[in-house]
Amino acid sequence: MDHAAAAQISEPLDLVKLALGERVFIKLRGDRTLTGTLHAYDAHMNLVMSQVEESVHIVDVTDAGQPLPPRVERRNVEMLFVRGDSVILISPAQQ
Amino acid sequence: MLIFSFFKTLTDQVITVELKNDLSITGTLKSVDQFLNIRLDGISVEDPERHPHMMAVRNCFIRGSVVRYVRMAAKNVDTTLLEDATRREIKDAKK
Amino acid sequence: MESQSPEPPADGSAPQPIAGSPSDFLKNIVGKRVKVRIGGGVDYHGLLTCLDGYMNVALEDTEEWAAGRMTGQFGDCFLRGNNVLYISALEDL
Repeated sequence: MDHAAAAQISEPLDLVKLALGERVFIKLRGDRTLTGTLHAYDAHMNLVMSQVEESVHIVDVTDAGQPLPPRVERRNVEMLFVRGDSVILISPAQQ
Repeated sequence: MLIFSFFKTLTDQVITVELKNDLSITGTLKSVDQFLNIRLDGISVEDPERHPHMMAVRNCFIRGSVVRYVRMAAKNVDTTLLEDATRREIKDAKK
Repeated sequence: MESQSPEPPADGSAPQPIAGSPSDFLKNIVGKRVKVRIGGGVDYHGLLTCLDGYMNVALEDTEEWAAGRMTGQFGDCFLRGNNVLYISALEDL
């Protein structure tokens, strides 16, 4: 990030403000990640996003308790509200 | 407050509420409060085999804190308005 | 009862915050490279842009580390404070 943009950030929420209207990457509790366009947020990190792809990272376990290779379930949602208490990380999506 | 107002604009529209226990309930949004508790009418569940007890229920009250996502139709959401309202709320909070 | 806390300054001036207090530490690590540990044993290494009273954190040039491997990279990233277990400096203060 360049220093002009860094100067605008005086509190962590400013980073989210700069991402309004942009594609973002979100990490959620429960091994879920989202990428989508951010349209609204509040101080709880409740989010409203569109054109969302959700990925759920799953590790299945055999009957003997052996973990199988991880797999990812993906689905698309056109408009999504995310409750803030599930949010871990927000980052402008890397192109 | 912003997200509360957003949900009020969705009143009488069909939404799907996904809970943190993976249960997804689709129904008409009848009302919402400041905690984002939700009342749904005419409900159905995504996987009735897995949640047979839900078949008997016509309407329900969902405690806000157990919600993971709310999915909705994109045509019901004015994203430009949402982004402007978010920026306004941030500015007001800093005053 | 005998107080365990240090005596107030003899000259009567207002007591200074103790050097090395948690809030002192947080002030000093802004702009430094830090490690932020969140629940589940995942670490974020990055340049600490700023933080707030909820321990929400903004990092630059961030690497995500889990189980001894780098699992992701972010230019900027925001971490929601409730997930933060600790913040530790990766360079001298």
